[in-house]
Parts: sequence; C-alpha cells; structure tokens
Amino acid sequence: MPLERIDSSPPPSFRQGFPVLMRLGLLSLLSLLLMVADHRLGLSQPVRATASVLLSPLQWLVLQPGRLLDAAGQYFGQMDEVQEQSRSLQARAIAQAQRLQEVEQLQQENAQLRALLDLREQLAGPSRAVQILYESPDPYSQQIVVDKGLLSGVQLGSAVIHAAGVVGQVTRVYPLLSEVTLLTDRNQSVPVVNVRTGARYIAFGDPAAGPGRLELRFVPASADLRQGDLLTTSGLDGVYPPGLHVGQVTHVDRRVDSSFARVGVSAMAQRQGRHLLVLMPHKDWPAHPRQAADAASGRAPAAANREARP
Amino acid sequence: MIMPAGRPLLLPVNPRFVLLSLLLTLLLQMALGLMHLPWLPDVLALTLAFWSVHQPRLVGMGLGFVLGLAVDVHEGALLGQNALAYVLLSYLTLQLYRRLQGFSATQQALQVAPIFVLAAASEWLVRALAGDGPPGWAALLAPLLQALLWPLANWLLLAPQRRAHDPDDIRPL
Repeated sequence: MPLERIDSSPPPSFRQGFPVLMRLGLLSLLSLLLMVADHRLGLSQPVRATASVLLSPLQWLVLQPGRLLDAAGQYFGQMDEVQEQSRSLQARAIAQAQRLQEVEQLQQENAQLRALLDLREQLAGPSRAVQILYESPDPYSQQIVVDKGLLSGVQLGSAVIHAAGVVGQVTRVYPLLSEVTLLTDRNQSVPVVNVRTGARYIAFGDPAAGPGRLELRFVPASADLRQGDLLTTSGLDGVYPPGLHVGQVTHVDRRVDSSFARVGVSAMAQRQGRHLLVLMPHKDWPAHPRQAADAASGRAPAAANREARP
Repeated sequence: MIMPAGRPLLLPVNPRFVLLSLLLTLLLQMALGLMHLPWLPDVLALTLAFWSVHQPRLVGMGLGFVLGLAVDVHEGALLGQNALAYVLLSYLTLQLYRRLQGFSATQQALQVAPIFVLAAASEWLVRALAGDGPPGWAALLAPLLQALLWPLANWLLLAPQRRAHDPDDIRPL
C-alpha cells in the first residue's frame, strides 16, 4: 500500500493557508456578493452560463433514468390507448379544419381592413419548438428548463406558448438550455384583455392559491367581469403577442370593505405534454420607452426584467 | 488522542474515493431535486459535512462553495444561496470535528443535527430577505432526515477504509 496517502503525512505545522475564520469570511462574502449581483444587479449571467455549460453533462446523466422509464412506459403502453388518442386527434383536426378556413378568410379580410385603416400589421414572428427538460427544483419559483439555448437562437424575454395558451417567458438563457418562468410564478405578470368586454387588466401569478392560478389585481369592484370570461394577451407589453389565451375567470369576489374586487383566474396552459413553442421577440415592435431612452443616451440596455412590464 | 475501545482501526483514505463520492452525491442531489418534495434530505450537504468531519484537510469550505454554486445553477435558485449554506456547514463541522471523533455514529448524528438545521436556516433566511417568503413546514424535516442518515453515511463512506490491511486470498476484502 502506498504510504504517501494523505493520512500518513504529518499535518503541516506552519503552512496552513489562510486561517479558517478568514476563509469563512472570504467565501461567505463572495457568496453574498454573488447573491446581490444575481438578485439586484443582474450581473451574474457569465458565472451562471459557465457553470451551466460545465454542469450540462451531469444534467444529461441525471435525466437519463427518467427518459428510459418514459421510453419503456411508451413501449409497453397499450395499443388501444394510442389508437384512441389518434382517433380523438383526427376528430379534433376535422373540427378545426373548418375553423382554420374561416380564420384564413378572416385574416385576409382583416389585412385588407387594416390596410384600409392604415393600422400596423400583425406579423407572425419566427418561432422555435423546444422540449421541457425538467421543472426547476427551487421551491420558491415556478420555472421550467427547456432544451434549447443561446446556440439555438433562443432570446431573452421571448414568450413561450403551448397548444392551450401562454406558458410564460424566457427569463434566463444559457448556451445550451434556457429557463422559462411560468405565468403562475409570483413575480410574473401579463397584460390581458377580457375578450367579452375588451377591458384590459394585469394578471399576476398566484402560487399561494394553488397550481395554475393567476389573479387580476387592481380591478375596481364595479368592473364587468363574470365567471367563465376568457382572458387573452393584450400585447401592450411588447413581450407577448396579442390574442394568445391566458386563462379563464373562475371567481369574482366583490367585498364591501374594499374598493377592489378579488378575481381568480385559472391559467389555460397547465403542465401537459413536453413540447412548447418559443416566440422570438419582434424587431418591428416599438421598444419599451425606457429601453429607447437607454439606447438614446448610449447606455447598455437594462438587464433582463423578471417582470413583464405592462 | 486515545481511541475508544472496540473501534476498528481505519485505513488511510483514498482522496479519489472522497471526490468520487462527492460527485455521485451531487448527481443524486440533482436527481432528488427533480422530485419536488421539500422534505427530501440534502444528501450533498450530508456527504460534505461527513468528509469535513473525517477528512478536514481534504474537504473544506472551498469545495463546499464550488459544489453549492453547481447546485444553485442546476436548481435555478438564487446564485450563491447553497454556496453560502455549504460554506457555513463546512465551517461549523470543522469546529466540531475534534470532539465528534470520540463519539459513535449515532451520537455524532445528534450533534450534527443542529448544524444541518442552521445551514438550512441560512438558505431560508436568504430567500426571505430576497422577498420569497417562508418555505413551509415540510422543509424543516430535510435537515433532520439528513442527521438521521448520518449513521448510514458513516457505514457506507468509511467502508473502503475498513478493509483488511493486507488483502490476500483468505481475506479478499
């Protein structure tokens, strides 16, 4: 057995590096600085990106057992289940075909009318299909990690949608992955419009009320809102394109002692399926006034906002 | 220091085994995090504390800091939150390691439990200061489970050091 193992050498008497307390102080200070840089200043992106790239082989390894189980489950899954699914999908496709043709006609009509009225055209931007890798383990926030990053052209602040509606917004981009903050996160907000009345509100994530819950804040008690009202994005923030489904009003609570109503909304895009679509931000959209001011004054654009500002 | 009677004499540790065990528990920690159960024990903290007690010259605050950053990035948490917790954990166990060596594994578990709670509390405090609110009561179970797992870690991680001095055909292990 070799003798130059760590236990067999005598402990160093003089050369011990920094004192223990100094090491504690330095490292704690460093982590505190990192936290402030991360939370307040938004400066930690290089550290995060580097660590993320270094970690990606480990993450890949960790995800393998789950994938294998999924694949095995699919393989052994019942045939009739798949047939049933295919039948219902076909029925849906037929049902939607008619609507699709209507929509095409309406789009043409709309384009003509907009041209007549000299309104800005609604353009469909480029998009990219992504797959959900995992939900962030952090219990305080509602985030998912998807499998495309900077190298695949995902941009910070892009809206992320699902077949049923808006899912959230890309809040961190790494070279190989990106993090999407769900609409239901505490710090996330989205400007919405009530399809029935055309009134505009802001929906905030409300994780305390349960999974997939949003709430409308600052709604006057006299507002015309009913249970079942459909809310779609209004597009006022320049992040989410207008007209995407956000959620449905589930209850309106008008109280005597408050001049605001409490309005609960259930988000459309609950976690179903693994495939999402990232909509790239539009270059033609007018910049946020503050960003425009920043650009004009020659400063770097403001760091990524966690909140979609309406 | 006089060894307590009946304690087996341990072989010198293999530094590669220490690093490998830390890497494997990092993987396990990342996998456990995906289950979204707040009461699951932080196995990486357990291994880190264990090696800080048994090999304080090999595993210390620096390694804790680096591993903490890795966990932070994987979890999408505040960058530095786990790093601070692990540095604190490593420091506190470093203060205790001389005393702990005289105790059995179960008695050691009792003594490291408050350290685990303190390290976890630093994370809760940091997130509360960042405006994220309390983590819920289930999270308090995690550090206690970590302490309960201490004897298991003692058995597993010291197993390579309990082998015979000169393995031969009769005593292969």
